[in-house]
Amino acid sequence: MTQHQILNPADHRDLRIRTEAGAELGDGEMAALAVPAEFRRLACEYPILFRHDAQAGTFSALALLGFEPGENLYLDGGKWDAAHRPLAMAIRPFLVGRPHEAAGASQVHIDMGHARIARDGEGVRVFDNNGAPTPYLDDIIGQLGALDEGFRASGAFFAALDRYDLLEPFSMDVTLDNGAEHRLVGYHLINEERLAALEPALLAELRDAGFLEAIYMAIASLGNLGKLVRRKNRRING
Amino acid sequence: MSKGSIQRVVIVGGGTAGWLSASYLAARRPDLAITLIEAPNIPTIGVGEGTWPTMRETLATIGISEAEFLVTCDASFKQGSRFDGWVTGDPGDSYLHPFTLPAGGDMADLLRAWQAGPSGGSFAAAVTPQAAVCAADLAPRQRAMPDYAGTMNYAYHLDAGRFAALLARHAVQRLGVRHIRAEVMGTEPAPNGDIAALRLADGDSIAADLFIDCSGQAARLIEGHFASAWVDRSDVSFNDRALAVQVPVAPDSPIASVTVGTAHQAGWLWDIGLPTRRGIGCVYASRFMADDEADAVLRGYVAAQLPGADLDALNPRRLSFRTGHRQRFWQGNCVAIGLSAGFIEPLEASAIVLIELSLRALADDFPASRSVMDIQARRFDALFRERWERIVEFLKLHYLLSHRTEPYWLAHRDAATVPARLAENLALWRNRPPSWRDFSQAEEIFPAASQQYVLYGMRFALPDSSGLMPSAAVQARLAEVRERARSLAAALPSNRTYFTAAAAASTAPAARTA
Repeated sequence: MTQHQILNPADHRDLRIRTEAGAELGDGEMAALAVPAEFRRLACEYPILFRHDAQAGTFSALALLGFEPGENLYLDGGKWDAAHRPLAMAIRPFLVGRPHEAAGASQVHIDMGHARIARDGEGVRVFDNNGAPTPYLDDIIGQLGALDEGFRASGAFFAALDRYDLLEPFSMDVTLDNGAEHRLVGYHLINEERLAALEPALLAELRDAGFLEAIYMAIASLGNLGKLVRRKNRRING
Repeated sequence: MSKGSIQRVVIVGGGTAGWLSASYLAARRPDLAITLIEAPNIPTIGVGEGTWPTMRETLATIGISEAEFLVTCDASFKQGSRFDGWVTGDPGDSYLHPFTLPAGGDMADLLRAWQAGPSGGSFAAAVTPQAAVCAADLAPRQRAMPDYAGTMNYAYHLDAGRFAALLARHAVQRLGVRHIRAEVMGTEPAPNGDIAALRLADGDSIAADLFIDCSGQAARLIEGHFASAWVDRSDVSFNDRALAVQVPVAPDSPIASVTVGTAHQAGWLWDIGLPTRRGIGCVYASRFMADDEADAVLRGYVAAQLPGADLDALNPRRLSFRTGHRQRFWQGNCVAIGLSAGFIEPLEASAIVLIELSLRALADDFPASRSVMDIQARRFDALFRERWERIVEFLKLHYLLSHRTEPYWLAHRDAATVPARLAENLALWRNRPPSWRDFSQAEEIFPAASQQYVLYGMRFALPDSSGLMPSAAVQARLAEVRERARSLAAALPSNRTYFTAAAAASTAPAARTA
């Protein structure tokens, strides 16, 4: 059960976090939320797909990790087999919090109900004996900041994709070596033809807003779909 | 490797040296037929409880998992030695000799940067994050790391009796070593003076091509058969007695990351923390201290360190030893390994590492036939005479740099007791730090880094560097050390946490998947 608290040295001085990877630590998920600011790094390892939230009427981006619910093909025993984890997973069990008066600075919150909270004395400390943040927490704070900023910038990005109709529905049938079939449905990806046909003025607008790079990174990331299938086959074939 | 004519190896003695020899040779040379003969009812010395980092590679070679070793031997991590009271004996007189090398860079430059840094900081704390880790009783690794890997260099403290038992089980059950429990009554000479066979108490006779004497101070073969001369070193190293106790500790008490050596008026005390007990001993020179005085020193230390310990229940084991080594360690077809080869006080835990180094040298260049054995024996002798010389000199350095004024300590600084090469080195080190040029063998037992830790730990005057400023590069390295110390202090578990979790994992069903 989640149990959010504001991180502070008085309550959390001896707190330790389990930083290794593992399904039992909450890493067993088939996709992770991604922000455009991290597309460049994610594109080296993961397919980046988009999803439409019909209720909110907005798009979001995902790094695909597996083909079925609960399946993370980047998990290899206690290791995460990629150079970078998506920010949204790397910052767990921490969250960006906001004080009640909405204008205040963001805070570091922690989910004390998360499986990453160490209970046996092993794991990495958040504060040192003097109550100062450890290098680990410094690093997490940096990632939380990047994620928060990425989220706030992503609204305009998805709105632009929507405005110029640059996303198209995508489904993919995957046939594995053992004959099993998986179907990826409900995702979107960049419509490259429409992108190529955009008026120069619109392209310049996307470029000036800093969106063009993220769009091409998302396109390039699709090469990782084949690699993800190979990961799945390796797992099946042992 | 071609099959040589040296096939049958017989090891005499079933202590740490004997079983390490059997396991190591059997693992490195599965083609050999190895037999270990152990006399029933001979107690092993069993106070060699500190290893060097070499033990990680040795255990990996033998094929024992680190988790099994740690739990079975009640072992703990040793990341260096702390020396309390060696400089003046005043409160706060303490320095660390850690296993991790100092930050890279020119040592004279590093020394200037250390001097220019925050005042009062120790040399070790300036040049390696291991000092901070040791000060906080943290483990050098996390349990999820692969076996024998760590964030820093480390070794072990262990229960010597359990260690020998683990090695024996492993050697016999997994490595095919033959184990005979019988007393060796004597040797049968070969025409060339070699040992042809051993006569056992039950009337049997055991022949072999190569014999390894691990019979301890008895030296049944190297002395009993070959009468190899003994080189006495008590002129340099005065201690010849020890009183040893083991004191149980509370299951939640902190476990130190270092061997603590505390100087007293005529020797020093060792203090080795294992998960279940502390092994504490008082080493002294009988020429300067009576046995009952040493007993009082030991009890005083235990009372101060472990308040609540039952002092009346302490029944110290009395050990006496002669300091020295063989003139020749390998004679004819017999190699002496362990206490049969030599002994010196355990100030830098040299006993077990010498066993390992002897075995590496023997296995790396194992004799193919009797005809080449004399060549290898001469080289082995030269190598280990040099190593003994280095050990004697390095231990003497600990005494030589002291400012203590008791008769024992003054006698230690008498120039007549100082080996010539050590005196020469010290003369050079007044002008420059110890350098690899002073210790240029491929496998130096105490490299320049060890000398630097002792020298600057004991506040030896730094070389004159007037007018020179530390380089920016070296200052950046020392800043990295401080940052790394912060990261490690956050990421490493305490020793106690580590061993509690390791013990729980070893008893939990199916806890180990590897």
